[in-house]
Amino acid sequence: MADKPKIRELLDESACAHNKSKQSPCNAPTPGATSGGCAFEGAQISLFPYADAAHLVHGPITCLGASWETRATKTSYPGRDLTQMGFTTDISTSDVVFGGEKKLLSAIDYIMAHYTPEAVFVYATCVTALIGDDIDAVCRHAAEKYGVPMVPVHAPGFVGSKNLGSRIGGEAALAHLIGTKEPETTTPFDINLIGEYNVTGDLWQYSPLLGELGIRILSTLSGDGRIKEIRTAHRARLNVIVCAKSLISLTRKMEERYGIPTISLSFYGKRDTSAGLLAIAEALGDEGLIERTKALIAREEARLDGKLQPYRELFKGKKAVLNTGGNKTWSIASALQDLGIEVVATAVKKATEADRQKARETLGEAGVLMMNPGAEQAKIIDDTGAHLLLAGGRSLYTAIKKGIAFADVNQEKKKSYGGYDGLLNLAEDLKNALENPVFENVARRAPWEK
Amino acid sequence: MGEVSHRSIKPLQVNPIKLSEPMGATLAFLGVDGCMPLMHGALGCTSFAKVYYTRHFAEPIAIQTTAVTDVTAILDGGDYSIVEAVKNITRKVTPSLIGLHTTGLTETKGDDIRQVASQIDFPLVWVNTPDYEGGLESGWGKATRAMIEQLVEPTEAIDDSKVLLLPHVSLTPIEVEKIKEFIASFGYEVLALPDLSTSLDGHLGEKQAALSSGGIRVEEIRGLAEAGMVISVGDSMLPSAAALQKKNPFLRHHHFPHLQGLAATDALVELLLQETGLSRPHPAIVRWRARLQDALLDSHFSLGQTRILVAGEPDQIAGLCASLHEAGGRVAVAISTVDSPQLERIPAARVLVGDLEDAEALCGACDLLVTNGHGEALAHRCCKALVLRGFPNWEEVGNQLKNDVLYEGGAYFLFECANAATAAREGHVGSDRSDQKKEE
Ligand code: SF4
Repeated sequence: MADKPKIRELLDESACAHNKSKQSPCNAPTPGATSGGCAFEGAQISLFPYADAAHLVHGPITCLGASWETRATKTSYPGRDLTQMGFTTDISTSDVVFGGEKKLLSAIDYIMAHYTPEAVFVYATCVTALIGDDIDAVCRHAAEKYGVPMVPVHAPGFVGSKNLGSRIGGEAALAHLIGTKEPETTTPFDINLIGEYNVTGDLWQYSPLLGELGIRILSTLSGDGRIKEIRTAHRARLNVIVCAKSLISLTRKMEERYGIPTISLSFYGKRDTSAGLLAIAEALGDEGLIERTKALIAREEARLDGKLQPYRELFKGKKAVLNTGGNKTWSIASALQDLGIEVVATAVKKATEADRQKARETLGEAGVLMMNPGAEQAKIIDDTGAHLLLAGGRSLYTAIKKGIAFADVNQEKKKSYGGYDGLLNLAEDLKNALENPVFENVARRAPWEK
Repeated sequence: MGEVSHRSIKPLQVNPIKLSEPMGATLAFLGVDGCMPLMHGALGCTSFAKVYYTRHFAEPIAIQTTAVTDVTAILDGGDYSIVEAVKNITRKVTPSLIGLHTTGLTETKGDDIRQVASQIDFPLVWVNTPDYEGGLESGWGKATRAMIEQLVEPTEAIDDSKVLLLPHVSLTPIEVEKIKEFIASFGYEVLALPDLSTSLDGHLGEKQAALSSGGIRVEEIRGLAEAGMVISVGDSMLPSAAALQKKNPFLRHHHFPHLQGLAATDALVELLLQETGLSRPHPAIVRWRARLQDALLDSHFSLGQTRILVAGEPDQIAGLCASLHEAGGRVAVAISTVDSPQLERIPAARVLVGDLEDAEALCGACDLLVTNGHGEALAHRCCKALVLRGFPNWEEVGNQLKNDVLYEGGAYFLFECANAATAAREGHVGSDRSDQKKEE
């Protein structure tokens, strides 16, 4: 029991800006009026990109059966990518009655024998948490037996949202991995990337630039991550939180425990990418590095501007409505502005206080912050004469009805929009959306309806 | 028939094909017009199901959760979260039905949903679907049976012009539609329960669906017991047929383990000719039978030299294997998600309950894999030809229009498999799509 995270504490994260507001988004969900993933999903997402670890889901088939291979968390790991595999104890009625610990241990044995991972994450889920399986004891036992970290993750879905789950995942890494190994070498420019999951390869849009500047990514939590590296994370000079508020309590604890300062930034769009690179250099506090970074930014921006020129012509006078969640409410908005597109509205329904503030700053006074985007967006499109709707697939019908172009920025995103080059991907996708006749064709009336 | 093993001996599933009972129940409720599936559990299961089906069907999916939390998980017997959920749902939309189904969590808690449901003054069907029992097929079957038990009005009257089709979960929307039309061509009015053929068939809806649109209507379900004939397809639908028989002892029930291939379709035609007294089916059916015969011949060169691995839900793989076997395809391995009486009938050298790790271990002796979308990576790794069938398929679009049943679909299916196998033999495996995937 001692290893279990204190849920109350995590919910009361003092470093979390929206903590002070009464209606915290971390609060309990409303029955019959809610959507979004569970804590287990959040934990899995935050730890999943460790391709050299096995992720063993201790529970019945729902949790894993419906979730494996859903995320394209890319990896450069040369071995077999274990994140593209699903492992579950798939417990049955008799396990529910008699307990599933034995089965869990045999499952770990099986995985160690067949896949020799660098670590095993064991996720408790609703049923196994409720029947009281002691995954801590099983993990301790297995870790001794194999001399490999076995990380219990106490994030059964019923404790809360995806966001809370990410924190729990971070806590599990802190409790069982970080600080358990010394790096072979250290440099004055070692950083950890926290909260970047390398979805669609986002991380690789800017990691070469960091490399060029001599900044070493010591470890990540957890995009393109390695178990060996995260175990040495306590020796980094700086924690860089990328686009995610959920791991703030983890970095705060690392600051307390190891004296590692934290900065938070985003790599979406030109301005954010540049600001992010500079922020890292400044936080590392080396004059030479700062100068080099400025030069690199100037070079990259000039290169990008050249490539963006034809798009800017095309996007001149175009207006967009953005309906997405979290930090994307402002980060994509600012990327759109970099492309010369006016963002007339963005959704802030699923955003924290801090994200709302940033959205306000990004859009300026005239921009609409939609609290109920599902109902508002159609009217705003009419009022502003917007040309483009960027949203999740569910809003496609709004776009068709209004006969304007649509781009999916949630589930279906296949290309990376991160870093300087990601902005080119975004520009290309938006160009294709604007030029695609499909929206008009689909809206065409049938001959018998004319 | 070959060797059949009914149980997996591993302590875990690695790369599962299996899906849960609540997922199956959700889908069954989506086959009812204006229904809101309500999953009783913590919010994650619902969110996973929603995302999963949205991607598979490329359609908006209506579903809600009772959002059980750590507090309610311990204290609540289901009352608060279910009653509250119904209140919140009906505040925004007016479903024709709420399909309440449980999860492992609420079953382990021991919630008495029957008792809670009896206090709710709104059309609602409840069903226990713990995810530590059964799988997708049984969840779909249980929800269907619950709808029959709780909605259908008992009668002794018979309307001989009416036929009810009870399709198993793996039949695609277009397949259900094709079977309905096939039977209708003999002069019947045909209903299906559940009916995805009009709800998840990929039609362009008027607006973003807050509820399922299309599907069988609740009033139609109430009157189902007067159908003169009930045709169940897939062994998972037998309990539903039995439940209906209880509502009306006079209705005639006919069962088909599957409707794929020449022999199975012939059996259906024979039944319908007998029932109607007609001497020949509609000319279009006659033509399609001839085409399937031709397809059997045309594809047998390729399939006859192809060893095949088929993996999926039991009712589905029973049909797929039978169809391939008719054209000389040699099914070396058939892997089922769960145990089923169907396994005994599958014409394969080896039949087992397992996962895609087992598939990987056994596919060395095969040339062609017929599996769900998770098989894509496997086929690529092992350089095998691949035909995608079953849940999920996130690799391709158009799942709702894949048709393998009856004479017509049977012909298309054989061609697709034969072509895939030939292309693989000629070394085109791993081209195009798979390469793109690797680069991404
Ligand atoms: S809510 Fe619970 S049972 Fe459902 S997916 Fe999440 S952890 Fe698994």
